[in-house]
Amino acid sequence: MADISLVPAPVLGGFQQTFATCSLAERIDIALISIAIPRQGKDALTQGISARWALDMPGATKMTQANGLRAIPLTADQFLLAFTPENERTEASVQADLEGIGYTTVQTDAWVILELSGKGSIAALERICPLDLDLEVFPNESASRTVMDHLGVLIARLADDRFWLMSARSSAASFLHAVDTSCRWSAI
Amino acid sequence: MNQPNRIDGGQIDRATTLKFQFNERWLTAHPGDTLASALLANGVRLVGRSFKYHRPRGIFSAGSEEPNALVQLHKGAALEPNTRATTVEVFDGLYATSQNHRGSLEYDFLAVNDLLSPFLSAGFYYKTFMWPRAFWEKIYEPVIRSAAGLGRLSGKPDPDAYDHGYLHCDVLIIGAGPAGLTAALAAGRAGLRVILADEDFRMGGRLNAETQVVGDMEGAAWAQAAVGELTSMNNVRLMTRTTVYGAYDHGTYGALERMTDHLSDSGDKPRQVLWRVYSKRAILCAGATERSIAFGNNDRPGVMLAGAVRAYVNRFGVAPGRRVAVLTNNNDGLRTVDDLRAKGIEVSAVIDARKGDYLVNTTGRKGLKSVHLNNGRRIEADCLAVSGGWSPNVHLSSHHRGRPIWRDDIAAFVPGGELPPGMIVAGAANGTLTLASILKEAHETAQRIATDLGKSGPTGEPPKASDEDFATAPIWHINKGKQRAWVDLQNDVTTKDVTQSHREGFRSVEHLKRYTTLGMATDQGKTSNMLGLAVMAEASGKTIPETGTTIFRPPYSPVPIGAFAGRARGKDFRPTRRTPSHDWASENGASFVETGAWLRAEWYARPGERGWRDSVDREVKATRTGVGICDVTTLGKIDIQGRDTAEFLNKIYANAFLKLPVGKVRYGLMLREDGTVYDDGTTARLSETHFVMTTTTANAVLVFRNLEFARQCLWPDLDVHLISTTDAWAQFSVAGPKSRALMQKAVDDLDLSNEAFPFMACAACTVFGGTPARLFRISFSGELAYEIAVPARYGDAMIRAMMAAGEEFNLTPYGTEALGVMRIEKGHVAGNELNGQTDARMIGLGKMISRNKDFIGAALLDRPEQTRDDGLQLVGLRPIDANVNLTAGAHFLNPGDPADMAHDQGWMTSVAYSPELGCSIGLGFLKRGSERHGETLRSFSPIRAQDVMVEVCSPHHIDPEGERQRG
Repeated sequence: MADISLVPAPVLGGFQQTFATCSLAERIDIALISIAIPRQGKDALTQGISARWALDMPGATKMTQANGLRAIPLTADQFLLAFTPENERTEASVQADLEGIGYTTVQTDAWVILELSGKGSIAALERICPLDLDLEVFPNESASRTVMDHLGVLIARLADDRFWLMSARSSAASFLHAVDTSCRWSAI
Repeated sequence: MNQPNRIDGGQIDRATTLKFQFNERWLTAHPGDTLASALLANGVRLVGRSFKYHRPRGIFSAGSEEPNALVQLHKGAALEPNTRATTVEVFDGLYATSQNHRGSLEYDFLAVNDLLSPFLSAGFYYKTFMWPRAFWEKIYEPVIRSAAGLGRLSGKPDPDAYDHGYLHCDVLIIGAGPAGLTAALAAGRAGLRVILADEDFRMGGRLNAETQVVGDMEGAAWAQAAVGELTSMNNVRLMTRTTVYGAYDHGTYGALERMTDHLSDSGDKPRQVLWRVYSKRAILCAGATERSIAFGNNDRPGVMLAGAVRAYVNRFGVAPGRRVAVLTNNNDGLRTVDDLRAKGIEVSAVIDARKGDYLVNTTGRKGLKSVHLNNGRRIEADCLAVSGGWSPNVHLSSHHRGRPIWRDDIAAFVPGGELPPGMIVAGAANGTLTLASILKEAHETAQRIATDLGKSGPTGEPPKASDEDFATAPIWHINKGKQRAWVDLQNDVTTKDVTQSHREGFRSVEHLKRYTTLGMATDQGKTSNMLGLAVMAEASGKTIPETGTTIFRPPYSPVPIGAFAGRARGKDFRPTRRTPSHDWASENGASFVETGAWLRAEWYARPGERGWRDSVDREVKATRTGVGICDVTTLGKIDIQGRDTAEFLNKIYANAFLKLPVGKVRYGLMLREDGTVYDDGTTARLSETHFVMTTTTANAVLVFRNLEFARQCLWPDLDVHLISTTDAWAQFSVAGPKSRALMQKAVDDLDLSNEAFPFMACAACTVFGGTPARLFRISFSGELAYEIAVPARYGDAMIRAMMAAGEEFNLTPYGTEALGVMRIEKGHVAGNELNGQTDARMIGLGKMISRNKDFIGAALLDRPEQTRDDGLQLVGLRPIDANVNLTAGAHFLNPGDPADMAHDQGWMTSVAYSPELGCSIGLGFLKRGSERHGETLRSFSPIRAQDVMVEVCSPHHIDPEGERQRG
């Protein structure tokens, strides 16, 4: 069908909103690939991503980043690789880079990523995030799984007042409503 | 609109005047006033009627312990009953009314109850209303319900918003009186993360109400200076208007913050936030509550706690009366005399019960006029300040069932037993009732916690103060007259009720509480429990500690149900999941059904259709004769990778998977350990190490969890890795005899002929000019069918493109109802059949189970119950009378047998109207079912009053040989 082609659509339509003390935006430019560490293959994968991208393996709650790639811990033997696809780097090329040293699954469409930023971010998160986000407890470059408003969430701290809130794509509208409500209701 | 009882001083903003209404009368107040202080300032003493006797009642206290001054706030849907006037901040436009009266507040018809009081003593309702029995529900209950209660609910949905939140700290300090402020200063200076919470809107506690000096400042001024220092600390969070109402496990506390209750306009913000506070330590600095002394007619408006009188005078700049008498059993109460005189208020009598003076009666129907002493003197007074000593607020310390212990020196219970882990009590709550000692204890407590938590910053010195004389004599009630003496003002419990309860055998404190209602309702007996215990102890000839105390449970003070619900109400009660084609489906007349959290299109209504059956029948027919499309994204999808995945799946499924070729899909049956069917679905092999499993929608999460358990715990040596891709792919079922032609248009460069892409084939491909996709030739409908998956971001575009491409084939979208009809026609099992009680043999898949391998469920597969000759087996059912609609849940009986369980032959699991067969059809489990095709049975449903004859047939109502799906 040459006359029909499919155009991708962000699940929240590229939502962006600025509140009194924080901003909320759907990140539609991030590709995600999960990388599972083969049994007894951690050393090879560690060396592989270091050699290919100068990227360290993430810790249990610690992200790493290098050369535009960010490794976000997911489980004991799996992490997410987040990056902005460009000409030289696509989901397919990253998967090809890892061929043989890690099991990859494209996860770009499994998640919605909301970026929350601004000095009111913590106040907004206090309404839905049960984690202690004090900088000494959850410093920059931390990531953790948690639950917000009944939804599973992966929260990543990029800076003092900048977070990625990642949740399932299918419930993105509910998730946005929860975070948006928190932003509105917590603004002083 | 002047305020006749307003006097100099106080911590109110006189520069601003607020207007509010009480019982439709406009009054004025100032910021810093509570409704109670404002009413007193305006000379309003009668504010409500008592619970049982409808006696006039006034303001008794100045805090959350208030038993009397319960009012209704707001109008319409926002109406809030039983609110304590002593905790309500006045704002411009506040609307309040009194409650619990028939007729006006001044002339309450139900005040006749007071005349009937001899018949209305404790537990009267347990002894009366017994006969005649016919009156129980028709007369007694409606009348009692109508008369009972205090305020009235609006009966409408609460229009306010509520929220939840989570806070974390090193130390939670509960109460911001002298102890709390001192502890917070020390902890904050040491570098601890501190949360200081207080139920009042002004921090300082009793310092705001007293004239004591801290350091070289008045107590209230010192409190504000302390708040100033704390505000400057980034590691300290100050929370006013916040009640810590409960101590829960692991250092977790519940706190209710009233965010906008004090504002005329909430600004679309939540009214209240229910915080879950996680703390490493907690210091309970909740202070103490003054108690009364019981004597004849001690409930009249104008009879107040002495500490409250001082609070109104010193904090609010209000004279509770112009001629005040003071009754006390302790030196603290005597300070009231000095404070009143300092404000120029006449003290008409000082009655020190320790000297043998006491009161026997009062007069004044709607407000106190005089008090009568035991020596026969009658003293005019419009206010009586009563102090019976102070009871530490131990409540939160006993939320983990720690029993308070008695201290004779203060005649009160103090925290005892096992406190909630991490909690330390300081100040008056700990029974330390003098200011200097309070400050020292709080400071040292915070220092100790700082050391424990590894913070060594300087904490400074505790502020200086003097220890006042608080000597108390345990004088609880004056039993010298015929007049009723009130113990619990809120529940109209008198000393007579308590002694009567004892006489009638209710000698446990817990029984006393429930028989008399002592200590129940909004104040939970904060001012009455001790008094009741004392009267009970005297009646039983025991000491108070021997008599015991009731246990405290959360909440410390009332928490609205709305606050517990938070924002989870209405359509936001729980999250929903949407399929990628949701918007398109909405645009095309879909009706949605909740499937777990998913919203799935159940049918697509077309103009002219009379109801859902028309839509569903049309969708089924169109699919069976042409081609239909259905969004099946909701099916669970699990990406499974690793060198040992085939072996892993071979252990998970009851049928063989070890040799599934790449590019093929296989139906799989998953069992529980006991051999019962757990879930079914298909698994496709995309490469030697890469599989994709589909599960039922309902069990997607359970199956994933089960696989994780198996991977991590049962076979940790296998190289297997899982990740959910349910949300990552938009998946559509395309079914019907024209589906191949349609898919050939959609899919790029893939031969879909039966030879090249047969039933149960799969392949990675692209669609519509390059969009990556996965194609599976599988069928749930029994027709020639495919499932096509594209990355979810293309899902909306995909359904629109498919509809455009399918126009020439009259492509018809179908929903879950048509899906259900077609699977019943085909005889495919679903949730109705896989209900946690069925095994593989019952659903006709016994032969599919591989006996040459080990798998989950293998060990218990051949239990006697599962191999009995007369076991239940899946059959199809059709009505003998084609006009009859079958009923799911109906039981099968042999003709002529009685309808009882002894003759039960099985039951109908699923029914549908089959457009293809033109009649209702069903699936069901029947004893020896596979041998009984052709038999006629009764289908009996007593619930739906249906008793019809059905014919047993193959469960595969259509295409039993599977020619369509393989064609």
